[in-house]
Amino acid sequence: MLAVTFETVRQLIAAGIVNGSAYGILGVAFALILGVTGRFHYAFGVLYTLAAFFAFTLFDRVGWPFWPAAIVGIVITVVMGVGIEAFVYRPLAARAGSNALLAVFVAALGLGIAGGNLIQIFWGAQTHSLLGISISPINVLGADIINIDLYSVIGGVLLVALLTCLLRFTGLGRAIKATRSNPEMALLIGVDPARIYLVVFAIASFFAGFAAIMAALKYSVEPTMGFRPVVLAFVVAFLGGTAKSPVRVFLTGIGIGLIETISSIWLPVRWTQLVVFVILVLYLISFSVNRAVFTRLSAALTGRA
Amino acid sequence: MQVASNYIDQILIFSIFALSLNLLLGYMGQVSVAHASFGAVGGYAAGYFALSHGWNVLLGALVGALIAGVVGAAVALPALRLSVEYLILLTLGVSSVLLGLFTTFAQLGGTYGLIGIPPASIFGHQLLQTTDWLVPLAVILAVVFLICHRIGESPYGRVLKGIRDDDKATLSLGKNVVLYKVVVFGITCGLAGLAGGLLAGFNSLATPSQFGFDVSLSIFAMVIFGGTGNLTGSILGAATVVLTKPLLEWAVSLAPETAALWRLTLYGLLLAVLMRLRPQGLLPEGLNVLKPATWRPSRSTNGSDEIVPTAVAAAAQEWETRLEVGESIAQEKQRERNWSDAPVVLEVTNLSKRFGSIVATEELSMVLRKGTITALVGPNGAGKTTVFNLLTGFIAPDQGSVKLNGEELVGMKPNRVANAGMVRSWQDVRVIPRLSSLQNVMLGVQDQTGEHLGPLFGNIPAVRKCEQTVRETAMEWLEFVGMADFANSPAGALSFGQSKLVALARVLATNADVLLLDEPCSGIDTQWVDAMLSLIEKVREQGRTVCIVEHNLHVVDRLADHTYFMELGRITDQGTFQELTNSPRLAEAYFGTV
Repeated sequence: MLAVTFETVRQLIAAGIVNGSAYGILGVAFALILGVTGRFHYAFGVLYTLAAFFAFTLFDRVGWPFWPAAIVGIVITVVMGVGIEAFVYRPLAARAGSNALLAVFVAALGLGIAGGNLIQIFWGAQTHSLLGISISPINVLGADIINIDLYSVIGGVLLVALLTCLLRFTGLGRAIKATRSNPEMALLIGVDPARIYLVVFAIASFFAGFAAIMAALKYSVEPTMGFRPVVLAFVVAFLGGTAKSPVRVFLTGIGIGLIETISSIWLPVRWTQLVVFVILVLYLISFSVNRAVFTRLSAALTGRA
Repeated sequence: MQVASNYIDQILIFSIFALSLNLLLGYMGQVSVAHASFGAVGGYAAGYFALSHGWNVLLGALVGALIAGVVGAAVALPALRLSVEYLILLTLGVSSVLLGLFTTFAQLGGTYGLIGIPPASIFGHQLLQTTDWLVPLAVILAVVFLICHRIGESPYGRVLKGIRDDDKATLSLGKNVVLYKVVVFGITCGLAGLAGGLLAGFNSLATPSQFGFDVSLSIFAMVIFGGTGNLTGSILGAATVVLTKPLLEWAVSLAPETAALWRLTLYGLLLAVLMRLRPQGLLPEGLNVLKPATWRPSRSTNGSDEIVPTAVAAAAQEWETRLEVGESIAQEKQRERNWSDAPVVLEVTNLSKRFGSIVATEELSMVLRKGTITALVGPNGAGKTTVFNLLTGFIAPDQGSVKLNGEELVGMKPNRVANAGMVRSWQDVRVIPRLSSLQNVMLGVQDQTGEHLGPLFGNIPAVRKCEQTVRETAMEWLEFVGMADFANSPAGALSFGQSKLVALARVLATNADVLLLDEPCSGIDTQWVDAMLSLIEKVREQGRTVCIVEHNLHVVDRLADHTYFMELGRITDQGTFQELTNSPRLAEAYFGTV
């Protein structure tokens, strides 16, 4: 049973990186939103799904060429993400004051539930294929994947690299980081947090749209396609750290993808889906107790020193 | 009739889910999006024992409730220190793990779940029709409602609301916040398990989708709709969410499948709109349907103007006359008496704390003496508030000892320090905004019978009697600070000065020997300062030991019997205030180089 061939491992690693880069890109987007704006953007999953459905409708039903359809799908997602922040979350947070996080979460939950069901009402519950790019097998370093896998990994790496450069080298990026660490102080030095929030929602929605189109090309377009990747994005964002660099969060995503595929060597497939959540719960337990442990440990060490 | 009773049964079952979540979310402020998965624990237990051991489903539901309660209490442990966003994520993870486990075991039917659970029976009567379930479910719901009501609307619930609005302040008043959280997580998850067992028995099946994440969300929605912190509201919320489907089918004559989708869409949108227009829900906290007087939100009757209420000024006078003749002479004598004659109550030796390379406190030693006021002064960043945090157990010192009447306090949790007789106030006041002034002060009273579950359910007269005493004690302290007229105003509606007085009354109500007051006079108008000062002097006359951190040197001059001067985490000078003001060090620190 443990006689796993090198071939299998290589294949699993490739699959883990491919899946993980999708989780990573969504995790980066969610972490950016939560870290900068403090909004628990549960409606993220609906935006993800909508990007795929709009692209599918424009391409398959209206007859547009694939790339314009995909880009317009992503742009609609961006507009909706920014709209939700401007017209739902912001007024709500202003009113709720210190309870903003819960109030925004409840509203986001409402939008997520309503949006998911509206998609089913308009498009039906069935699964569609988005045949925008002809799929061809491709061999990378000995692992067999498809061309779309390669595009999505390269695209993900590019997006994360661009975001990192934006945060590090531009005025806008510094304004985003300033807002993340202290919105009131940012306001004092002339940064308008409200505008930064909109920018952040635009970037994150763009990331979600990209990931959705890639998933739609590889698998299919269906109303529930957003749930699992987005829940994993929450996990990745928290494990990676919402105030940490996008590179770190992205790598966390790849790590989660690898754990998921590689654990299938030892575990039945139905268990591998659980592994990620078990890790999450364990992480949160350690996160919760480590402060107590650390203080006791450091007290013991300094006491001895 | 069957159709109607089917919906009524569902409302009854989901009311149990919503009530228990409300106790957790509305009263204790802990978010859970895993409530249905705790229902799954009960549901699967009921189904499993019924199918493979031939148990009555209702018995299985009870056992399931116990298991769910234990699992819930276990989940509370990691949840103790988590903020809202992490709690959402943790419960989401727990929900996924629990449901994943149920779908994984073949004995539990895998993804299909347990089907064909035999009907429940009560006293030999099988519950075959939906109408048969009406009475048993109504009775169980009534019992659950009474349990939740007893916990939520009692001295116990007052502590829960304290934890919800400010767990640190509640901890500083001697309440064992950890225990409350674990117990309430356990109870509410247990009740969810019971509801899940009933749901499985009612539907004759236990499937993963029956208890899926979207079901957890709809239970969450019921609580939000009905109003967090209002138990009647949760039943209303359950009814609203359950009944939208038949209403849509009947009113707009939609097909059942489409109606199900529109139902979810509608209540999703309602949730978003409600948060905007009526975040407190249909029935806000504190509203009792049977008492029209509570229908309008309570406002402070006198308005919270910034002027010193005459009662505050009068309180000083009144206490003056209450004190026996000759008291003022005794007061002067006490003033004159040498500070060092008073017995030591609190002895702090070599207290040190570092945060990384930053020295917060270094080899700090000080004493507090009975019936005296000690002041801790020093420039900003000297570490004065850190000293209070170290003394009261909010921060564990690296080394050193804190002895209260000979008892070592280092290593104790903040609530134990408060129980031992040393209580601190907060620079930023930290009154519980949604509790009334009186309830805030009542929260300070120690050893309340109603704060323990045993007497809460087992000895109702004793709880009532104790509550009466607590109310009277609290009212006395409110009168002492002159805030009795504001007893029923929510503390959040008070002005800053007023809330400082309520916070002082709350600290006094703990009956602690040693009071640590963090900047009692900062941020309040000059006319309030005088009232506050005479109150603190009266506290000293009662023989209590007071330590204040204060920037206002006039305050220190008037109050302090002994003053410690602190710089960069060390005590660099001490003596009477007059002695210190002559010291060049203090002059330099406060007024720049002379």
